[in-house]
Amino acid sequence: MTKILLANTDKPDQASIGKYRERGGYKALEKALTMEQTALIEEVKASGLRGRGGAGFPTGMKWSFVPRNTNKPTYLLCNADESEPGTFKDRLLMERDPHLLIEGMAIACYALNCHLSYIYIRGEYEFVANTQQKALDEAYDAKILGPSLMGKDYPLDIFIHLGQGAYICGEETSLIESLEGNRGYPRIKPPFPATHGFLASPTVVNNVETLASLPWIVQNGGAAYAAIGTEKSKGTKLISVSGHVAKPGVYEVDLGYPLLDFINNEAGGIANGRNLKAVIPGGSSVPVMTAAECEGALLDYESLLKAGSMLGSGGMIVLDDTTSMPETLSVIADFYAHESCGQCTPCREGTGWAAKILKNIVAGKGQRSDLDLLLKIVDRMEGKTICPLADADVMPIRSFVTKFRSEFEALCAS
Amino acid sequence: MPKFTLNGQEVEAKAGQTIIQAAGDHGIEIPHYCYHPDLPIDGNCRMCLVDVEKMPKLTPACTTIVNEGMVVRSDNPRVKEAVRGVLEFLLINHPVDCPVCDQAGECRLQDYYMVYGLHTSEIPLGMKVRKRKVIDLGPMVVLDQERCVLCSRCIRFFDNVTGTGEMQFFGRGDHVAIGTFEDRPLDNPYSGNVVDICPVGALTSRDFRFKCRVWFLHATNSICAGCSTGCATRIDHRDGAIFRMIARRNPEVNRSWLCDEGRLSFHELTRSERVIQPSIKGSDGVQTPITWEDALQSVDQRLKQIRDANGGSSILGFGSPSATNEGLFLFKRYLTEQLGATQFEFRIDSEDKKVLDEEDQILRHFDKHPNSMGAIKLGLISDDLDGIDGAIRAARDGRIKAAVIIYFNPLVRRPSDDEAEGRIIELIDELKYSVVLAAHKADWHASADVVLPVAAWSEEEGTYTNFEGRVQFAAKAIESAGDALPIWEVFAMLIHASGAESRWMSAENVFATMTEQSQPYSRITFEQTQLPGVVLASC
Repeated sequence: MTKILLANTDKPDQASIGKYRERGGYKALEKALTMEQTALIEEVKASGLRGRGGAGFPTGMKWSFVPRNTNKPTYLLCNADESEPGTFKDRLLMERDPHLLIEGMAIACYALNCHLSYIYIRGEYEFVANTQQKALDEAYDAKILGPSLMGKDYPLDIFIHLGQGAYICGEETSLIESLEGNRGYPRIKPPFPATHGFLASPTVVNNVETLASLPWIVQNGGAAYAAIGTEKSKGTKLISVSGHVAKPGVYEVDLGYPLLDFINNEAGGIANGRNLKAVIPGGSSVPVMTAAECEGALLDYESLLKAGSMLGSGGMIVLDDTTSMPETLSVIADFYAHESCGQCTPCREGTGWAAKILKNIVAGKGQRSDLDLLLKIVDRMEGKTICPLADADVMPIRSFVTKFRSEFEALCAS
Repeated sequence: MPKFTLNGQEVEAKAGQTIIQAAGDHGIEIPHYCYHPDLPIDGNCRMCLVDVEKMPKLTPACTTIVNEGMVVRSDNPRVKEAVRGVLEFLLINHPVDCPVCDQAGECRLQDYYMVYGLHTSEIPLGMKVRKRKVIDLGPMVVLDQERCVLCSRCIRFFDNVTGTGEMQFFGRGDHVAIGTFEDRPLDNPYSGNVVDICPVGALTSRDFRFKCRVWFLHATNSICAGCSTGCATRIDHRDGAIFRMIARRNPEVNRSWLCDEGRLSFHELTRSERVIQPSIKGSDGVQTPITWEDALQSVDQRLKQIRDANGGSSILGFGSPSATNEGLFLFKRYLTEQLGATQFEFRIDSEDKKVLDEEDQILRHFDKHPNSMGAIKLGLISDDLDGIDGAIRAARDGRIKAAVIIYFNPLVRRPSDDEAEGRIIELIDELKYSVVLAAHKADWHASADVVLPVAAWSEEEGTYTNFEGRVQFAAKAIESAGDALPIWEVFAMLIHASGAESRWMSAENVFATMTEQSQPYSRITFEQTQLPGVVLASC
């Protein structure tokens, strides 16, 4: 399989700028700076790269929504608020290969005609931010960033902003609010960040993994990237696998790689000789898949959607047959109840209520009617909120309760 | 002007209007908590979700601009189910303490529950999120966090209207609560407004709390008499007592707001002793009660004697900028037509200059009278006298022998008010004969030759002309004290006593005569003085 993102992450000295350049680093940026800005956007469009933060929106298209002839500055914000339970891929990139992100951001900034960019890193990643900051300092010292981007008459500044540990700030409009110094509340859309984002100016918010893919695309061409993967899911994807596998960790796979092959061959299979029970393939917010549903499923956006789940952020959680599904769901629901920002009614009240019902069930104090109540609550939350956080709670609850209902019923008094 | 279909009917919206506004214009109320016409849109309550054709999800009517050809349904089962769901969510952690809640009877949670909810609660009591109650937020507001629906109206009010930003959300998820940092008091001069705009019982009025159930109150539309701004208000009263005054929306003047001083100004009416019957100073110098008939007969006779002896120019008409236009109009008419008086004044403290002087950038003006502009427009200003000082000088010089004085205590007090009262006493002391029309007793009471009790603001109907020349009608809310009469009625009776024709039966009659005969008020109708009022052509 092609190594685009993890090519050098296992080399202990990769974080230093010298070694990074020795291994071909910043060559892509050099090349990008010789290209027309619009040609660069076309190249990214041709690559078929899709947002790796979870939504999978085509990156080139997102960029093309940014108005080019405005008197307002354009901002690129790097979303490094990696908070989805089960997801730990961006962290690896920033810890092990921080210059790759800087190079990717510089390319994106140049393409978008942006001169000021921020990396919004979640508060819990302070140590990651330190590594990334060191790399930024090196890039400034090497005159890559600063008043002239690699010697070109193009000023570019990149700053790190540490969040305070709110999951909601990974949602792009709350990230923008938080960066502006406000409470991290999602904004009502429209208007979209492409026209009214950070400081009411055109803004692109891209995930770390998305931006880190850019140097390879520029170096090898969009077509080479598009040649990897499936027809609609092109390129490679980082999968951070955790749970009951023998070798949890971050893996890079060509999109379209079979899910079960991934678990058995890459992740070392189910640990301790147990059997697979279920997989949450894309971070805790996506619907859970039963072992049967995993048969034949491929790791790409379309295939997993067809199998009733989502690729999401690629935060795969593998559950073996000793797992209590009600307990797992209760932990997940607690997370979303805790992280709901509280701005709009259905999410604020619904996540909390559902979490309490699940806690009751796990404690053996539930009733069978609670399961229908849970399904009613999620129906009332779904699609009625400002941002997708409520839906992130709805999908696991609905899928767990419907697919593993007997387990829940066993805990409930009749 | 986009046309769109709302619940099956084609209707027209104004350009740029949201669905909730356009629906409101066509008499369809889309349920809402966070939407408020005078605050920025927030879209957080999710009660106003509507079904718009070609949109996959339900969309909030408060954030969605009407487009040509849009097909909107606010009444289909999908919308009703969603609204019911949101309402149930809002109620799960609500304490449902309506029996002890001041908001009961005018609470949006109660109202919408009766229309959209009527469900049985599915959450056991022990599962409810508990929050803080009875938090003292300063002189105007008491906060109950449990009753709050977190619509952020109060937060947006302080962020956008006063710009003081005292309130904010604290916490996250279903533990979010509104409050001020460290419970610091809300001490800006507009804090009482958040009680008006709170759709539920979270923010209640310290002044009105537990005084009366709202369904026992009668509402009367009025105009605040606290300053020259002329904010539209609603007086809530019962059994002749005012219990509270709240803002009435007038987008041309006060939008939905009132200042705290104005909101509480009605208390001034009961703060000092009222004049309850006409009285006349006897030869022993003591005020003795007398009937209206005898009082007016005596006043008319004495004034005519003075006119005959010294000429009409020796009689001064000293009006009040707190009186209604109708009162001032007949006051002037009696003095000019029956007595030939030529000297009129009302200024004690440069009201004519202060009337336009803004105390802040929101509502308040420095002139604490509701009708200074009315007094100016009716010509109660003399270049010769130039205010009360000139009048006192003229009385001392003997050019003015007698005066008819109208005096009301300002409902919003300032330290200079005592001085103003002192000036009135000075004037009275210099006069040979003085008639004072007043609602409240004051130090000059003993000095005046005749004291006539008159109805105060809220006790009579009439129009006031605000700083910009906007004429606005205030209805009568409560009965006046004792034998007090509206000023227009006193002068209608005096004109009658004087032997002239007097057929005015109401303030509206007087208004009609005024618009026929008084230049600045010509060409306006009584109907126009209703919300939002009418600005005089000369202004």
